[in-house]
Amino acid sequence: MSDRSEKFAPRIVALYCANALDPKADLAAAVKAAHGFSFRPVVLPCSSKTELSHLLKLLAEGADAVQVIACPEGSCQFLVGSTRAEKRVARGRSLLSQINMGEERLGIARGRGLKVEELMDLLERRANLVRGLGKNPVSGEESK
Amino acid sequence: MIVAEWKPLPEILERLAGKKKLLLVGCATCTAECAAGGEREVETLAPLLRMAVARQGGALEVVIKTLERQCEWEFVEELAKLIPAADAVLSLACGIGVQALAERFPEIPVYPGVNTTALSIREKPGLWTARCEACGDCVLGDTFGICPVARCAKSLLNGPCGGTRKNGKCEVDENIDCVWTLIFERAKQRGQLEVLLKVRKAKDWSRSRHGGPGRIDREDLRV
Repeated sequence: MSDRSEKFAPRIVALYCANALDPKADLAAAVKAAHGFSFRPVVLPCSSKTELSHLLKLLAEGADAVQVIACPEGSCQFLVGSTRAEKRVARGRSLLSQINMGEERLGIARGRGLKVEELMDLLERRANLVRGLGKNPVSGEESK
Repeated sequence: MIVAEWKPLPEILERLAGKKKLLLVGCATCTAECAAGGEREVETLAPLLRMAVARQGGALEVVIKTLERQCEWEFVEELAKLIPAADAVLSLACGIGVQALAERFPEIPVYPGVNTTALSIREKPGLWTARCEACGDCVLGDTFGICPVARCAKSLLNGPCGGTRKNGKCEVDENIDCVWTLIFERAKQRGQLEVLLKVRKAKDWSRSRHGGPGRIDREDLRV
């Protein structure tokens, strides 16, 4: 399928905890510099603000993937926030599998004070996983 | 509370085959408490259904609504305006709620989105265990507040079977306590072991499923 070719540039929504990224990270520049995928960064006060319904709605509204970026276990300022986020993502992945959407459309990574390069690396990995699945069928766009 | 859990998504999707407009209805009472059918779960299931149908090449419009209680006619009536625009209704309430919707709106198919499982207590987050079978003839006064009807795999009323494990667990499942061990321990704690030796009247099972569908008729509550 053509949408599984390297030309397919997955659209990723990156939901990140405010503490997971370097506060000096220039995300506006990173968005413009993204190559082979595009992403929309959304900052959260804690990764636990990601309700499962939010994650799935983003996919149902056309995102090819959703990447959650949480603090490492043990360093969440709300103690268990990142663990909650991880469990919600796991449940979401299981539900996506049940409907054959591909669990890799949803993922979580952990980090603290990540540099832009590290963020781009993990988004690139997510994009590579999603390329194998093809475009989100809900995107409404023709495969090119 | 009444507890339930989502049906497998493929089973739900099979029911919805060919439908274009779905009314997905949650219940903000029991199934919301057990994280199966409240507003949050409705909002979680709706995008999943839309994606699943889109993946099969179709399109499903999902309208969502969560009623305070699906087992009360006053609340069910809130759906009257939404029903004409829908092809089908998927209810995330217990079996009572599903039947209430099907009875009020016989012109449209109403499908269950959950399997209603038991009358349970939340032991800890994410764990609900059965506490009551609604058997209609409560024995808790004789069993130190621990129900052998709901919590014994065999609903034994006069002591444990031979399958109690050495650690006090049930032979059916190592995660389940032998309820008669619990009853014995509580009786011992209260210094009332002799109560367990008392010969009791046979339980009246006619008030349970054995007597047909349950019915309570209180004329004094009607005007």
